Amino acid sequence: MERYDLVIIGAGPAGLSAAIEAARCGMNIAVYDENKRPGGQLFKQIHKFFGSKEHHAKERGFHIGEELLAEADRLGVDVSLDTVVTGLYPGNEVMIKKGGQVSHVRGDTVLLAAGASENMAPFDGWTLPGVIGAGAAQTMMNLHGIRPGSRVLMLGSGNVGLVVSYQLLQAGCEVAAVVDAAPKIGGYGVHAAKLARCGVPFQLSSTIVRAKGGDHVEGAVIGRMDEHGKIIPGSETEIDCDTICIAVGLSPMNQLARMSGCRMEQNPKKGGCVPVCNEYGETSVRGLFAAGDAEGIEEASSAMIEGRIAGIACANRLGFLEDGKAKEAVESNEQALDTLRQGMFAPKNRGKQIEKTDEGFPVSQHLLVTGFLGDDEVEVYPGVTHPKGLHPVIECTQNIPCNPCQDACPHGCIHIGSFITALPAVEASAECIGCGRCVASCSGQAIFLVNEDIGGGYASVTMPYEFMPLPEKGDIGLACSRDGQAIGEAEVLDVKSVKAFDHTNLLTIRVPAELSGKARFYKAAQQ
Amino acid sequence: MDTSERIAVHPILGVPEKGRQVQFTYNGKTMSGCEGEPVAMALKAAGVMVHRYTKKRHEPRGIFCAIGRCTDCVMVVDGVPNIRTCVTPLAEGMDVRTQDGVTPLAGDKADKEEADGTI
Repeated sequence: MERYDLVIIGAGPAGLSAAIEAARCGMNIAVYDENKRPGGQLFKQIHKFFGSKEHHAKERGFHIGEELLAEADRLGVDVSLDTVVTGLYPGNEVMIKKGGQVSHVRGDTVLLAAGASENMAPFDGWTLPGVIGAGAAQTMMNLHGIRPGSRVLMLGSGNVGLVVSYQLLQAGCEVAAVVDAAPKIGGYGVHAAKLARCGVPFQLSSTIVRAKGGDHVEGAVIGRMDEHGKIIPGSETEIDCDTICIAVGLSPMNQLARMSGCRMEQNPKKGGCVPVCNEYGETSVRGLFAAGDAEGIEEASSAMIEGRIAGIACANRLGFLEDGKAKEAVESNEQALDTLRQGMFAPKNRGKQIEKTDEGFPVSQHLLVTGFLGDDEVEVYPGVTHPKGLHPVIECTQNIPCNPCQDACPHGCIHIGSFITALPAVEASAECIGCGRCVASCSGQAIFLVNEDIGGGYASVTMPYEFMPLPEKGDIGLACSRDGQAIGEAEVLDVKSVKAFDHTNLLTIRVPAELSGKARFYKAAQQ
Repeated sequence: MDTSERIAVHPILGVPEKGRQVQFTYNGKTMSGCEGEPVAMALKAAGVMVHRYTKKRHEPRGIFCAIGRCTDCVMVVDGVPNIRTCVTPLAEGMDVRTQDGVTPLAGDKADKEEADGTI
């Protein structure tokens, strides 16, 4: 039986990160992945990631995947693709299946980094062709260039549901609505706001009663739910759609962990049944580690750090890395991980009602139910100010771990401080030069440049724009409010596309001055 | 809104990288798709939604997970049933057929060959 220092199951963000750390220490590694290409789900993530600048924030997921792969390649990490791990036995013996052939290998250490599977919602008709997982939608449009449907109904308002809905719009699909059984939007407010200003409605405390159609989806019936989760009679409405997309959470892939005999626990904060791990990701079976979604559902950013920690711990266990160096490396990664696990959406805060931000500002309830900030509400936040001339307006109102905007501004207009979840504040003393770097750096697309008075009774608003076709200077169209309603005429003053902004175009429109605080999106006139 | 199923230019990804156009057959009808893309994607682009019918209740099934996990999209490909079309690359001249239950539909290639004694 072939023996390796480290056998890694899964070549996604966690597995590849572990492989990189282990390879650096000179370990003999085998990495198995059942897919045709490595990277896990990273290559389907076309949005900019949140987090700190040191950990890939404001980079698009697929670019992070490319960097990770390049680093792994440089270190000689070899991933066996199309290879399914079908068993994990005592003594960390791993059974693999490739091309119909089964073989066994042994790892002195083994890392479970198999990721997650999607949860499902079995409503009437959920098996009809046209009902798909959110991951399937991403696979179709972002990997293969195929639209999942013309008009899509999204079930689930967590970050996956919100991000995939936006990506559907970018792919040229319509999103009929985002439906969620919960009374509040589950994902980041900034993600919801991106959809709301495109006109996507949210239907909360609601669920899909049934999918309609003979041999494929031709519509859906949704109904409002009472506090016991029962459909309120008479509340059913029909939604016109040809595709239903399900984004109701992920569950850790735990089959191999269970098979290994390691101690497992049901942990709702980790998304389900997971192996019990120590701070290095080691399970109760000596030498068997877990990282990434397989150890607890989180973001890809945390999966990468967990993978690094596990890789370092494996190297240390087998004597490839001395104790002092290992401790130091683990500690700095733990610190980074801890930073990502702060804020309102941190695993420890799941399910909690949060009324105030860390700074004491009221959390917008309007945002949580409608997907957009009320015109008055927005005024209380420290990113919204009204100086003369051009200035950034930052509609970032929830404590989430993200800070690229602070470093983006070369003139120090934006202040977050050392606490990464703090709300960005606009510094009154600093001068905005209109470079737009902050606008492009904001993964939540929540920063606008506003000049409330450009003369003649007009204001200018610069916004991030990631759709096709790109408007052109001189175009006349419609200014839309935060809820996607057309509120006035807008003339495109400028369209800036810079390589460094990575496909986030900056669209500057001229609107009547009284709309400077309301116009947050632009639609071409004939749509 | 664009009504075609294929994205011509994507605002972030640009023009999708696709293989050359190849022809294949779906239930005997000639269709075209891009070489190397999953069979399921070529079918979706051609407007095919139903991949198979379930054995007991004869219910339609199509693409569901698109990553080879759920097996809802299995079809009879080149006479072999239970092929996960979402992870099977399209090749020129492939014979793709709707699957009925867990075996090929009567009259499919495999059945014929069996009847002819060729397999």
